[in-house]
Amino acid sequence: MKNIIYKPLLFVGLLSILFTTSCSKQIDDAYKNPNAAVVEPIESILSGVIGSFTAFYSSAGTGYGVQADAILLGRYIQYWGTTTNGENYGQMGGTVNSDNTGSVWAAVYYGQGQNVNKIIQWGTEQQKWDYVGAAWAIRAWGWLELTNEYSDAPLKEAFNTNLVQFHYDTQPEFYDSCRAVCYRALSFLNRTDGKVSKDNLAIGDAYFFNGDVDKWKKFVYGILARSYIDLSNKQIFLTNGYADSAIKYATLSMATNADNAAVRVAGGLTSAVNNYFGPFRGNIGTIRQSAYIADLMSGNNADAFNGVADPRRWYMLRENNNKTFKGFTVWAGTTGVAAADYPQNFWGNPTASSTAAPTVDSSRYLYQNTSPWPLMTASEMQFIIAEAALRKGNTSLALTAYTKAIDLNFDMITTTYPQNVAVPNQITPAVKTAYMSNTAVIPSNPAALTLTQIMLQKYIALYGWGVHQTWIDMRKFHYTDLDPATGKQVYANFTPPSGANLISTNNGKLVYRCRPRYNSEYLYNVPELTRIGAYQNLDYNTYEMWFSQK
Amino acid sequence: MRKFLPFVLFFACLTMISNSLLAQEKTITGKVIGEDNRPQSGVSIQVKGTKLVTVTNQLGIFKIKADPKQTLIFTQVGSVKQEILVGSKTEINVQLVPSQEQLDEVVVVAMDIKRNSRELGYSTQNVTGKEIQSTQRDNFINSLQGRVAGITVTPTTGAAGASSGIILRGFNTLSGTNQPLFVVDGIILDNSTLNTNSQGGAGIGLASDLPNRNNDYTNRMADLNPNDIENVTVLKGPEATSLYGSQASNGAIVITTKKSKSTGGKILVTYDNNFRTQEITRFAEVNNDYGPGASNGIPTPPPTAGQFQSFGPVWPSTTKLYDNLHHFYKTGISQTHNIGVEFGKKEMGFRVSGQFLDNQGVIPNNMLQKYNFKISNNTKIGKYITITPSIAYTYSDNVKPLKGSASTGGFLLSLYQWPANNDVTNFTTSNGGKTTLFNANVNSDYDNPLWSAYNNYSGDKNTRYVSTLGIDITPFSWLSLAGRFGYDTYKQDGYLITHPQSYALTAATRGSLDNYYRTYKGYNHTITATAKKNIGKFTTRLMVGTMWMDNEMEQYSVKGTQLIDSLSGGSMYKNGQIITKLNPADSNISLPGSRVRLLRNYFGLPNLNILRELAYFSEVSVGYKNVAFLTYSHRFETASPLPAKNRNYNFPGASLSLIVSDIFPVIKRGDIINYFKLRGSMANTARLNDPYSNQAVFVNNQNSSVIPGFTYGFTNANPDLRPERQQTFEVGGELRMLKNAITVEGAYYNTLCTDQISQGYRASYATGFILNTTNASSLRNEGIELTVGVTPINKNNFNWNVNFNFNHMWSKVLTLPQSIGILNDYYNSDTYISNVRGGLIRNHSTGTITGSTYTRNTAGEILINPATGIPLVTTGNLLIADRSPNFTLGINNSFRYKNLSLSFLWDWKRGGDIYNGTEQALTTLGKSARTSNRNTPLIVKGVLNDGFQNTTNPTLNSIVINPYFLTSYYTSLPDEEFIQKNVNWLRLRDVSVNYTLPKSLMNHIKSIKAVSFFFTGNDLVLITNYHGADPAVNSNNPATGGIGGYGLDLGSAPTPISYSFGMRANF
Repeated sequence: MKNIIYKPLLFVGLLSILFTTSCSKQIDDAYKNPNAAVVEPIESILSGVIGSFTAFYSSAGTGYGVQADAILLGRYIQYWGTTTNGENYGQMGGTVNSDNTGSVWAAVYYGQGQNVNKIIQWGTEQQKWDYVGAAWAIRAWGWLELTNEYSDAPLKEAFNTNLVQFHYDTQPEFYDSCRAVCYRALSFLNRTDGKVSKDNLAIGDAYFFNGDVDKWKKFVYGILARSYIDLSNKQIFLTNGYADSAIKYATLSMATNADNAAVRVAGGLTSAVNNYFGPFRGNIGTIRQSAYIADLMSGNNADAFNGVADPRRWYMLRENNNKTFKGFTVWAGTTGVAAADYPQNFWGNPTASSTAAPTVDSSRYLYQNTSPWPLMTASEMQFIIAEAALRKGNTSLALTAYTKAIDLNFDMITTTYPQNVAVPNQITPAVKTAYMSNTAVIPSNPAALTLTQIMLQKYIALYGWGVHQTWIDMRKFHYTDLDPATGKQVYANFTPPSGANLISTNNGKLVYRCRPRYNSEYLYNVPELTRIGAYQNLDYNTYEMWFSQK
Repeated sequence: MRKFLPFVLFFACLTMISNSLLAQEKTITGKVIGEDNRPQSGVSIQVKGTKLVTVTNQLGIFKIKADPKQTLIFTQVGSVKQEILVGSKTEINVQLVPSQEQLDEVVVVAMDIKRNSRELGYSTQNVTGKEIQSTQRDNFINSLQGRVAGITVTPTTGAAGASSGIILRGFNTLSGTNQPLFVVDGIILDNSTLNTNSQGGAGIGLASDLPNRNNDYTNRMADLNPNDIENVTVLKGPEATSLYGSQASNGAIVITTKKSKSTGGKILVTYDNNFRTQEITRFAEVNNDYGPGASNGIPTPPPTAGQFQSFGPVWPSTTKLYDNLHHFYKTGISQTHNIGVEFGKKEMGFRVSGQFLDNQGVIPNNMLQKYNFKISNNTKIGKYITITPSIAYTYSDNVKPLKGSASTGGFLLSLYQWPANNDVTNFTTSNGGKTTLFNANVNSDYDNPLWSAYNNYSGDKNTRYVSTLGIDITPFSWLSLAGRFGYDTYKQDGYLITHPQSYALTAATRGSLDNYYRTYKGYNHTITATAKKNIGKFTTRLMVGTMWMDNEMEQYSVKGTQLIDSLSGGSMYKNGQIITKLNPADSNISLPGSRVRLLRNYFGLPNLNILRELAYFSEVSVGYKNVAFLTYSHRFETASPLPAKNRNYNFPGASLSLIVSDIFPVIKRGDIINYFKLRGSMANTARLNDPYSNQAVFVNNQNSSVIPGFTYGFTNANPDLRPERQQTFEVGGELRMLKNAITVEGAYYNTLCTDQISQGYRASYATGFILNTTNASSLRNEGIELTVGVTPINKNNFNWNVNFNFNHMWSKVLTLPQSIGILNDYYNSDTYISNVRGGLIRNHSTGTITGSTYTRNTAGEILINPATGIPLVTTGNLLIADRSPNFTLGINNSFRYKNLSLSFLWDWKRGGDIYNGTEQALTTLGKSARTSNRNTPLIVKGVLNDGFQNTTNPTLNSIVINPYFLTSYYTSLPDEEFIQKNVNWLRLRDVSVNYTLPKSLMNHIKSIKAVSFFFTGNDLVLITNYHGADPAVNSNNPATGGIGGYGLDLGSAPTPISYSFGMRANF
């Protein structure tokens, strides 16, 4: 009888031990996610991160980058406006209860965020120092873009996955970090040991610098140059030698248009591979060029390039049915624009009021499906040198740089963006020479060069793609600062909205910053927002930036 | 091999015990039948004065040894005890007679174990298969509402093949599923509903990764043939299911299917059919009086954009207007045929059943066809072993138009907003395209609802096999071993197509097609050993067991666009040919370059979702004198979704049952109280996270790249997750009075859910991610349940029963992730319909809805814009409603008069708010009924926002507005305005009349034993204060985790009313 009971029990016992062991292995096998990897080659991560400069496009989120924000911020600086009268951003309003103007925030923290961290971590393990350097360069770009758009934000605590509330650090801390990261990036980009390989870098970098480490370095120098020129309104700009730094780094940066940093797209049948501003994506149907840029480039600005029709306008802007260039007052929409003066949309739909692309693609410049999107150009670097040199009093360097800057911009436009410009309107060498020899544009005497000329030519050269940088420039001059040399507005005849056209919650002040991204901070990081006043104060968007203060 | 180990084990045990047989007395065999002449299994036969006991098998057969002087006692709960002297007999056949006094039922509880209900310290409730079948509902889950206290069934829509969610005792988790476990004959079966969300391709949804709200997919338990159900036991609390573990932390629906019984070698055939028609009788309240106009009564003569805004003047009397609402739906027609065949002899029985269902729904292009086939067997092998194998096959084919908003291809809002001067039935052009109203660009023109239903739709075909094997071995009278082995597999192939000409797409997209191929393979087994021993006045029972579960879902999904090359002159061209018909089952019709897949599909592999779980458990029961019962259980579990360090967890359960009326028999004196039981239980259980929520993964990045690009997905997955914890206690009692004419059963329960895994909650992007997962939330759930049965009349020829199932529950969200502010909400983004969502806020119930509100002053008065007279609105997701009902009450009446029986079930729900998103959408277009009095000037009640609003003397609003000239009044109303507070309903869920032809008549027809005819009506009456079409719809299907979208009404078709007739015959 004993055997009858114990034998089976023993048997059962042994079997269950066997069974449990095999089961726990099976359970362990099922723990790991079989569908998606927790590690990917850094070559395949870099490509998506580069996409986040402009318009991130992943299965988990799209549109993060400068482009989506540029559509809105371009109204603050009067690059363009929408067809709506009283439109919020045209009135210098800030974003309330939405993720608008939060795309750079998302790009830096999410699109680049941990992806950049992993490129650094795994790239270090794999001794791919070029990847590590590129990743640090992207991080440096991110910190500068981020703080220039939003001012205070998480920096020291950023990317700590165990936190759900984050402390905000200040703008000077971001500037310092940005530069420190730039030097770190350069130290890696300078390395040739380990697994550094142009061909291998070109895999991840195919649509940016195609593996050219020198261009990455120039990009980093460009970030450094920006980090100094952005402070040109501060007293320390001259006293601390920031002007020299700006000139030095701009000189080390891009020298030719071949060096330009531009994010390219492959083109094709999906949104992912088409330019955010192109007709396929259909994102900019309701915006139209502003009256300010149209007048400036048509010779209709009384105090800048007056009487000089800029030949680049046929490339950058859109004519109306009168074949002239007019634009919207950004806060007024179509109001005050005669029907025949109504500019076509940027894709050139012959029906001027249409928000759709024309059936036959006639888009130009940045508004094409496969337009490369500049992040930084050689021309911009020359404008940095020009501004810094002029402030230092080195007018001849300023004039040389200024001339080069315009020259480079003409070349970029005619070589990279010649599409769909009718023959009579094309820029020939003669047309360019005629423009550049016009002393209303380029004075022959270096002493005659003004800040207005530099900043407004820069305004034109960065039109469309350089919204963020132009906004920095304009805020440095508080939009309407006077040039002590001329006694006139640096941004000649630029009129920001005022009175009823300035959004009432600004309390009469102009816009200086964007609110941190709504769905990131306004809902989920409230205590810190409250500490800095961003949560409760309706005019937080008007708080002046550190960089623009004396 | 692993799967066969248990079998080996059993056979090994078997051989070792086979020599234990001792024989001295004579053997008596026999059969026990019930009042209905059916064999009775589980009848206890005891040799009087000894401990020798046996039970009848599935065929009602027993064998026992006794000597001629001994007496056999036959007992079965619910029957009169019979004593028979053995004498010279070697065969004793007994017919049991139902007992009027003893109503102790045997209930099937966890692990397919039958227990006497008096021992149970927790509540269970039964619904018979007969009741379920009499409702004639395709998805049997819908027949449970109102029949069980504490159960809430919410169908997603009224479409054929719609899913239904089922919630037992409220919501216990804010992120995970709240659906109960389904156990059929001891086997866990899959009841998942396809979730279209694929987490950037890392999950198992659609390749287009849609939010789970624009379409519906059947919940897979609907595959079960309702006609195979013998009985459903609802185990509501985790007390009852602590043995089933984390999978059953939401309770369990335990289904016993019909088994073959010995037919004495005869073949018994049952055939029944059902012919049904369905109608939609309820619609949203629509106003069709006004013509087109963008605003303020200014007409826009067609054809111009803005046709859908009906803010123009009233239609001229000459305009021909159409009653489009009533021309859209059709009469749904369905037929069902059921056949059941039983045959068996002595130790072996077979049951074969089949069902054919063809349901052409009320919505155009909506149909469900289903075939079921099942064979089950039970065989007694030797003296100690009974095996019950079965195999069931289901094939279903379902086509459904899309639901939700018009901009995502849903038909219903298009129908409501369709211009009254346009005949909705004229929807297609001569070349098969969409007729347009006003726009030259066909994609910019709204989709005619009929056209939409026929062209924006989804379909799936599902083939399922469920094979089960039950093995019961009873080597000794005190020991029984049971094994339940089940393999459940199905293939579901489906598609979702949006037509190239649809408003939901841009012209450049040229159509969109999702195809998916889903395979489920689920194996599980449960093996238990139960020993019983009586020690003096104590009865003891020890059960130990193990469970293994291995569920695997595989999925291929592909989404492509560019289904046509061009659209020209209204015709669609592909490869130079005009095409008129798109075949959505063919994923090749999209352009290869446009296709997107789930992550592993790019490498030719399916995406997987695997859940494995191993458990050991034990239960000890001690009974004292059959009046007090104490049970303690403990379960040890290990499951694959958790990281190794947190993977092993365990939880206890305990319950106590006291039969007070037997402890103090004085209570029963006077025959008023016949039975009084008090019970209490407490248990802990755990709940798992979704598989893979511990690992942050890379998803596809499609930005221009020469190699596949990857970036991190949304979620900051947490490598440290622990299982959620749930603690419940329940107290209750049972009372039977007046010879059981009145039975009352009540329970109070209290469930505290802690350490809840908040999946996908938001925090600052500074984490480097957008969504996060942490053990962070907690909530408490309480409720009272009351079941009352009254039998006012119980005569031979006439019987009347009334059953009341009452439920009142309340809940409170205690903690949420820290990143969510005090007034902010945690939500599942699937529930985000229009601007409203099922947002959860601390210290409020789990049923809250959040959205925009009126702006109010400190005194709570609505603030009015002094410039316009229109109320100010605070945008955001603020608390605007609570969906939780005050109570629900199901009242089921059943009458039997001779051969005629009638039953009807009323379902009363009181309280609970509903968001009428349909009305909000229609109001902004000037189409809802609330805009019909737009010519009546009004003053919005409130105070002016003039600087004095928060003083003691705010300025009362006196600005008269005439909405006809001020459309912005309608278009700027906050979400709060479209919350309908305290929605009540009284539904006549099911009415069933059955007439059985008298026996005297049937005696003349030899081949047919019995014939009955029946009529069934479903949802015939709905009395409600709800302004929308149907208050019982759900904006999401049960695949949405957490609280889901019940009470959120946007573009979901209402439940139709149904009439069915049929007959049933036994051969």
